[in-house]
Parts: sequence; structure tokens; C-alpha cells
Amino acid sequence: MAEYIHVGKSVTKIDSLGLAAGMEKFTDDFPTEDTLHCAILYSPHAHADIMDLDTKAALEMEGVVDVLHFKNVSRVLHTTAGQGYPEPSPYDTVLFDRKVRFIGDRIALVAAESREIAVEALKKISVEYKVLEPLFDIEKAMNPSAPRIHGDEEHVEIPVAYRPEVNLAAEVEIAFGDLEEGFSEADFTEEHTYTMQAASHCAIEPHAALAFFDARGRLVIITTTQVPFHVRRIVSRVLDIPLHSIRVIKPRIGGGFGGKQEVILEPLVALVAWRNKRASRIVLSRREVFVSSRTRHAMRIRLKTGAREDGSITALEMDALMNAGAYGTHALTVLSNTGSKVLPLFNKIDHLTFTGKSVYTNLPIGGAYRGYGATQGYFAFNQQIDMIARRAGQDLLEYCKRWHIQEGETSDVFRALGEGKKGVSQTIKSCRLSECIDRGAAAIDWYEKRGKQLKSGNDRVKGMGLAIAMQGSGIPQVDMASASMKMNDDGSFNLLIGATDIGTGSDTILAQIAAEVLCIPMEKIIVLSSDTDTTPFDTGAYASSTTYISGSAVEKCARNIKARIITAASQILGLEEEDLSLDMEKVTAPKSGQQVTYEQIALSTLYSRDQLQIQAQASYVSQESPPPFIAQFAEVDVDEKTGRIYVVKFISAVDCGQPINPVLVEGQVEGAVVNGISYALWEDYIYNSSGKMLNPRFWDYKIYTALDLPEMKTIVVGSFEETHPFGAKSVAEIAINGPAPAIANAVYDAVGVRMFDTPFTPEKVWRKMRS
Amino acid sequence: MEAVFRINGKEKTFSFDSDATLLAVLRDSGYTEIKEGCREGACGACVVLLDGLLINSCQVFAASAAGKEIITVRGLGDVHSPHPVQSAFVDSGAVQCGYCTPGMVLAAYSLLQKNPDPDDSEIKRALDGNLCRCTGYVKIVEAVRLAAGRMQGNG
Amino acid sequence: MREIRWYYPENLKQLPDLLKREGVIPHGGGTGILRGSLNHIEGLIDLGNLQLRYVRYRNGKIEVGAGTTYADLIEHLSGTDPDHILVKALKAAASTPLRNRITVGGSAAFFPVWSDLMGPLLALDAEVTLTGEKGGSYSLSDYTKNGELRKMSLITSVQWKNKSWTSFYHRESRTKVDYPVFSISILLKVRKDTIEDIKIIIVGTARRFTQCLQIEESLKSLTLDQARIEGIGSKLDVQFTGRRNFSAEYLKHCVGIQLERGLKAILRS
Repeated sequence: MAEYIHVGKSVTKIDSLGLAAGMEKFTDDFPTEDTLHCAILYSPHAHADIMDLDTKAALEMEGVVDVLHFKNVSRVLHTTAGQGYPEPSPYDTVLFDRKVRFIGDRIALVAAESREIAVEALKKISVEYKVLEPLFDIEKAMNPSAPRIHGDEEHVEIPVAYRPEVNLAAEVEIAFGDLEEGFSEADFTEEHTYTMQAASHCAIEPHAALAFFDARGRLVIITTTQVPFHVRRIVSRVLDIPLHSIRVIKPRIGGGFGGKQEVILEPLVALVAWRNKRASRIVLSRREVFVSSRTRHAMRIRLKTGAREDGSITALEMDALMNAGAYGTHALTVLSNTGSKVLPLFNKIDHLTFTGKSVYTNLPIGGAYRGYGATQGYFAFNQQIDMIARRAGQDLLEYCKRWHIQEGETSDVFRALGEGKKGVSQTIKSCRLSECIDRGAAAIDWYEKRGKQLKSGNDRVKGMGLAIAMQGSGIPQVDMASASMKMNDDGSFNLLIGATDIGTGSDTILAQIAAEVLCIPMEKIIVLSSDTDTTPFDTGAYASSTTYISGSAVEKCARNIKARIITAASQILGLEEEDLSLDMEKVTAPKSGQQVTYEQIALSTLYSRDQLQIQAQASYVSQESPPPFIAQFAEVDVDEKTGRIYVVKFISAVDCGQPINPVLVEGQVEGAVVNGISYALWEDYIYNSSGKMLNPRFWDYKIYTALDLPEMKTIVVGSFEETHPFGAKSVAEIAINGPAPAIANAVYDAVGVRMFDTPFTPEKVWRKMRS
Repeated sequence: MEAVFRINGKEKTFSFDSDATLLAVLRDSGYTEIKEGCREGACGACVVLLDGLLINSCQVFAASAAGKEIITVRGLGDVHSPHPVQSAFVDSGAVQCGYCTPGMVLAAYSLLQKNPDPDDSEIKRALDGNLCRCTGYVKIVEAVRLAAGRMQGNG
Repeated sequence: MREIRWYYPENLKQLPDLLKREGVIPHGGGTGILRGSLNHIEGLIDLGNLQLRYVRYRNGKIEVGAGTTYADLIEHLSGTDPDHILVKALKAAASTPLRNRITVGGSAAFFPVWSDLMGPLLALDAEVTLTGEKGGSYSLSDYTKNGELRKMSLITSVQWKNKSWTSFYHRESRTKVDYPVFSISILLKVRKDTIEDIKIIIVGTARRFTQCLQIEESLKSLTLDQARIEGIGSKLDVQFTGRRNFSAEYLKHCVGIQLERGLKAILRS
């Protein structure tokens, strides 16, 4: 592998000191003058028509300035999904509707001189409802005689399968071979149904947005977003404000995980500002984030496999039923991903079908969430292969190594299943999954403990579980990233990128890439990102795309700059360009020993002769989406008498190509693993019979603290992905896929019960063991 | 009502509503390094030191903090001269999105004031009031260990 | 924007009058008030200047001022008796910043679901001293059952006999930082291999807490060899109400298992 000066080094995150010192600013930290504070009135009914709404009393309150609702806001159908245009999500949302579709749906907004007044005024709005039959169960919702949740009125033609008449937000179907034939070749079949629950992203920063006017009368929106350019486009369209009048700025973001790939609050603050010509601001409470932002989609997966005695799989049938909740944002693409990110992993199954339905219900809205449907698919898939290997008497590790996709291989699924359209065919160029399995197994002493049911005090029995997974690196032929750079007098560079650092460290790794190409110290790259006025376009931080796609754009841009520097140097030195090469902050001619520093080049080009600004830009669209791979191992102790699961150790071995910044890679994996474990064991949306979420607070929706951690280890298994200039693949999402199935497999190894439903609360395990 | 707090070493007069929380009063006065994550004492993003004790500022009435000493993360150090705990968080990769970081840094600082050489279980216990969703806590625990070593002159 | 009147009394004598006022309640610094609605509150009495933050030893008793925080009490007892049941219990309660605020008096008065204080105090046969309308000392057990005692009165201290016990504390919760769905407090005194005294309190039962008198009686005056723990749990007569993530049936099963484990552990030690 090449010797790099920055790539592969754990450079400290460029914003970390400012963050640790409390100096970096998040959305709600920006002061605005003469501001209207907003509060939202939410539906107390899961499904109802609004017959009338009276805001008179609220408007009469001192300090109340404006109230928005269906009578005074135009009805523009759109999706809140922050995806590329046209978004592959149904246009089923308006800012304020005459109908409410879940407890927590938006009814009205009050803008007032203070937050307290706005909240108080909400109580003065009277609403008359006609309560409709609510639908919570996905099977019932698909019944043709069930009430319709959407589509009674006009709808916009969109390029996705959408059948509101049977409450379907999306459908997917792919098939290869002949399922019947495949199952007839099988010696045994396994058919099981797996369910996963809704979950909250729990970014510690709640969603917030503010809007104000600059001195030229343009609307500036500062917001907690993963997708600033999509925000600008969608706000412009929904509010009919010219796009050129809007500037969207993404400041520091306090975590996203998919929850901020949504355009929820921006149109509201923008509209309040636009109508009243004043600044406006909204910050959601934690309760509002839980109930009225977005969740992981609850999903029910039926998986049937046929296998020969040797464990080879002859047929696979996967059917996914996804609970979209009240609106269909990401309803198609999350569902597609359940197939497209999972099924290629075992690419030698001739007879295969994947069908899926995304179903509207009167529950909180599903959306993008780290893992994006793959998490749910891998929960089923990994337990199923554990079962097959056991029944076939095969060593699980050898079994996985034998059947997983290898370098040089492809899968029909890549071609068949894309994001709202056909997928893109690709051949795997880098895959070290077998090495991940071996190294992870060694680190956890797999063979010393697997199948041994080792006992320790207080009735604890040990079990070992494995889960393997792949993900993608951006959306091929869809996601575009761009970068521009310019050279300053001292030989430093401004790097302007649309890429959206939401805490992942992308500003840092993109600077590392630029500094690597240009052979300069990190501090000579000055990063500015995610401002629609000043930085070039980027689709945003989602689909594990930034390192791979934005990173490629930055590399290309830096190469363009390099070419201009060489040209300038050749003129200054009077030497041929091909005789020149870069050394640290200078251009040298190895043959003659002549050299010119970047500073000299900058001063010369800026001030002395043939003056010009050395600058460049580049865009990048990927033709493929190379998957990272991971093997994750759980060692658990199960209390045989109470059913409680203790995750003792958790090891992840990941092939993400060349890690640009190993510490940041570990951080992505560790964060995803802890989120995954806490989701597998406890996190849950608990509703009453009316569809009201009963636990919208951290005291009652339990996420892990430092005290709950198992012993954790992350092994970064290097590979080189030839389609990326530095060999990198993604790593942001993949590690959340393994915890639930690895723990489930470990529980089976320990006590012989199969956990088909998350979360694995002690009582569920106890009941299984008892029956 | 009005009250004087001594904040980050400076005496200042604040005026606020009688039911205001310390969090709201301080953020409204520009101390935006104190973050709000839940308003219910469950996430630790808003912790400050009140008379030397780590507390959730969303769970304290400003009225009952009158006359007291408050330290925020900016009172420990800044980018020009960071406190060893802040530097350790940077060097360990313990800062991802950074929203929990001011609280985490203060929790770590508060621990090390009382217990300069904590073991891992003591570190985890001291961070039990601070939620983080990005890091999985692994590097935060490392950072506290590193800070402890450096502050004792071993690092 | 609700106007709340604040009172900052300097000594206990000023309290009775303040406590009589409609809608005026004492605020020791804990978090109970901010968690609830402020709508019914007209005034708050800041107890910060009343010198109620102390731990002292008097007449063979440990007396804890009502303003003492969980953190204060942990720190104090760790110095003298690190195995004290309150050290074990309070260390696991709430979170570090909350332990710096939650007061002994506030927890004893509210008996909130997240309290890890009450089981140990009930096992210790603690008393509360009140000032105000119902001034005087009462057993904590009576205080929790008699709502009248809380009216227009304030706990100024909690005290219990300073005896040396062997102790066990278990809390059942979802994650570590969580309300305990139940807790088990056991205190044991052994003399010459014979169980001289034992106290078992389960907090979180349908009646808030249950003292396991039958089991206590059945074990008293047995030698350690004679004590048979197996089966005690399944015969345990306690009722639970189902809670989120835990059915009543499961809680009853689980408390039995954990009680047996606790008894075995404490008798072994």
C-alpha cells in the first residue's frame, strides 16, 4: 500500500477542541434579533378529520403574533424526505392538513414574542374533530375495507409504486429463478417471522431551526439538518419562495443518524419569517422529537429458506411488511434496502424472491435511521443462517466464509433493486469479510466458548453469537458531491464542500484527503462546509456516502488544483511540467534540484505576473456503491432463572477499505454498536390502545449510558477499494446491523431459545425458556 | 426577579422570571455552551458546576441559585489554553458531534477533582448522568483516563 | 411566566407560618417539583439557608438533616461504614448530577418511584422528625402511610439507630440508570453463627413496599447452617402491579429469585 502523510492517520478532528471548549455553535446557539418563537399544536387523536378550528382566542393573547393552520397556509403536497430530486417517496404531506393521522400530527403553529407565550396560546386554540377509526396493525391496514389514511384528495404523480386505496405507501418485488423448484431441491426448510420495533434516533441535540432576513432581504435558515441543499429546494417549492432568496446554513449538528434527513421544521420557521418579516425560531422538546419527528420503521419479515444437507441454500423467500406510520417518507427506499443491502451477501442462491410492502398506519412517522432497513433484514438473515449451519452440522464461521460474496463476484440483486428504480450492476472489488470473521473470532475466543454453555455464578450461562453484514457507499448514479478550492497568499487553501458533517468528522477526513493530494500540513486546509450560498452542491450526509462520494469529489478537486500549481511552477521555474513533482508545501524538480514553495507560487500568481487565482472545482457521481463488510461477535451471559441478558463482550471486525482516519472509524463503529445493543435489549415505542406513545422521555425510553457498556473492541481490517482514490469505503451505518442478531444467536447458543422479536427484555426471554 | 451569580469567575447580575430554570436563564444570557437535550434531568447536556457540584441546570430554579458560584465548560479553558480534560477529549477522539461534550468534560473534571486516579468503573459511574449517542462512550472513558494520567503528571 | 413567590427563611421558626400558606411548598433543591406541573404552586420556600445539610451522631443514632443530598450521605457513610446499605443503594440511585441534588428529606416526603432511599431506611426502622403543624417524630413507616402528616409539615431530619448490620441491596431495572422496578433491602445481624435479627424490605410492590415479616420470623434464631433458603422465593407473598416491560407475574417471579440470591449471599458473607 502507498505511504500516505495524512490518509490512514488518526488526525484529531478539526472541530473537536472548539467543541470541547464549548465554543462551536449549534443551531439554537445563534442569536437572532426581534425573534418570534414558535410552538406547535399536535393532534390528540390518531385519526380524525378537523371539522373546524378557531384561533381567535389565541390571537387575542398579548404577545401572540401569528397562528398557522390549514385555513391560512397553502396546501402543497410534498415529502419531508431529504432525498435527491425527484424524491422516491410519496408526496403525501402538506404543512397543515384538514385531517390528522397520528397522535402527534401537526395541527397548528403559534408564533409569539416568547416561547412561553406561544406554548400558552396553544391551549387557546379550539379544534373540532370528527374522530375516524384508527389503524395500528399493518395487516388490518391493508384490508381493502379498512379506512383510507391517504389519497382521498389530489395527489402528485411520483415515480414510485403508491396505492393509497389499500394504505400502501410503497411496494417492492424482485424475483430470480423458480422458487418452487428451489424449495423442491432442498433437504430442509426454515421459515420464521421476525419483528423489529420502532426506535428513536436520540441525537442528543433536538431538532431546531431558525430563520431570519439578511440586510438584502434574503431569508437565511440555520437548521439541524443532514441535507442543507434538499432543505433549500423543498422549502422553496413548498412555500413558493424563490430559491435564490433562500440561504441554508448547517452549523455544528448534534448527531443525526437519519433523524435529520428530514425537512420538518424549516418550512415552518421560513413561513413565519416570510409572513411576518421577522426572525423566527423553533426548538423541539424531547417529547416532540420522540413523537413527532421520525422513527426507525417497525418491520415484520417472513424469511423462508430451503437448504441441502450440506447447508447450501437452494431457495430464499423474503417478505417484508414495513410499518410506515402516518406518512410515507423513505417508505420505499428503506424497504428496498432491506432486500438490496442484505440479499447480495449470499450471492449464490439461484432461486430467490424479495417482496415488500410499506403500510400506512396511524402511528408516528417512520424515516431514515442508520442501517436504513438493512438492520431489520440482517436481524432475520443472520439468525436464519445460524439455524441452517446448525442443522447442516456445519461450523458457522466456515459456513459464512464459504458462502459470502467474494471479490470478483456479483449479485443479480444489485441490478434489480435500487432506490426507487432499478439498481446498478456491480462487481465486488474489495472484500475481506473472511478475514474479519477470523480476526473477530480470535479476539473473542470463539471456539473456546461457542456451544460450551459455560456457567458462572447466579445461574448465568454463556453463549456466543455471530452476525455478518454489508452495506453500501452512497447511492450509485444518484448521489452527487462537489468541492471547490482556492489558494491563499501563504500557500494555504480554502476547501469548500457541500458535504454535511453531522458529528461524523467528515470535515476532517475531507481535509485529510485534500492535504494528502496537495502534500501540505492539515492546518493549511481551511474547511468551510454546508452553506448553500458559499459551498457547492452535495446531496448530504446519508446513505453512508460522504467518505466515498464527497471524498472522491475532494480528491478530484485537489488534483485539479495540483495541476494548476504545477503549471504555475513550471512557468516560474522555466521547467517542463512533467519534470516537476510535489514535496511538502513546495514543487520540486528532482533532476535539477530546483524548487519553489507554495507561498512563492501563490504570491507570484496573485501579484506578480499573469495574475490569476489558483482555484478549481470538481463534482463526483459514483457508478457503483462498494459495500463495506463486517463480522460482529457477541458474548452474552443469560440468567437462566430471570431471562436477563448480559452482553459481556462485543467485537466488531470491519472492512471499510482504507480507513482515512482510524480513530474516527472506530468511533463510528462503537457508536453504532452501542446504539444497536441498546435497541436490541430495551429501546421501544410503547403505545396505549389509542396509539399514544407512553414513554416519550429518556427516563422511560432507555438508551445505554457508560455504565451499561460491555467490553468492546473494534478491529479495522484494511482493504483497498480500487474505485476510491484512497481505497476507502463507508463505515457510518454498517455496525448497527449486527448487535441484535449476534445477541439473538448468542442467546440461542446459551439457552436454546430463538428470539424473533426485539427488544429482548428479560421477561420475553424468560417466557420463551419456560415454554 | 434579579440575582447575582458568580459565573466563570465573574460576578454578574441576571434578571429572570421566578419560575425560570438556571438552564434557560444562562442560555438566554449567552452561555450557549450549556446545551439543552431533554429539560428533564436525564441527558446531562446542561450540567454545570454549582458551588463546585455537578448539577443538571434544567433541574434547578435560577431563583435557588442566587449568590452561588457557577462554572461552565468555558470556565475550564478555551481553544487557546484548554484544560487538560478538554485536550484529552480531543486527543482520544472522544468528541464526535460534540453536543454532549461540554457536559461530559464537566462530569470528568468534577470526578478528577475528587478522585484524581479513578478506575474504569469509577469513571463510568461518574459519567452516568451524561448521555452520548455518537461515541458508544468507549473513547470518552479513554479520555478521562488520559486526562487523569496527564493531570497527575504521568502523561 | 407564572409568578412564583420565593421565600428564603433563615431559621426553622419561620417555617410553620410559611407552610400554612395556600399553594406554598418547600423546595429543598431536588428535582421533584420541576418534574411536575408548576400550575398549582403559588410560592416556594427555599430551604437552602436552614442548615439542614448535616449528618450527626446523637444518642446512639445517626441523624441526617433533610437537606442532605444523596451524594453527601454516600460520602459521609463511605468514610465510616463503606458497606452500609445506604452506600450500596444510593450509589446506584439516579445519576451523578441528580445525586448531587436529590435530598433525603425530599425523597422521604415524596417517595418517588426512582427512590433507592426508602427500602434501606425502612429496613433501618428510621424515624422522621417534622416541624410545622404536625411537629414531632414519627416512624418512617407510619409517615409513608399517613398522608395527614405531610400536610403543612416539613421533614427536618431522618434518624435511625446506629447499629452495625451486614447488608444486601438489589435493584431491578432496565438499564443501569433507571427507576428500579423493585428493590430488595436486607439487613442481618449474626451472633455466634445464629441469626439474631433480620430485616427484609421490598419496595415497588403493589402496596409500595412490603416488609417480609414471615420470612424474617422463620429465619430468626436459626443457625446459619439451619437456614434453608431454597423455595423461599416461590412462596413469597407479595403482589405487584404490571409495569412497562414487566408484567406482574414476571415481577413476582423475579423478586423471588432475587430474594433467594440475596439471602444466600448475605448468609454466606
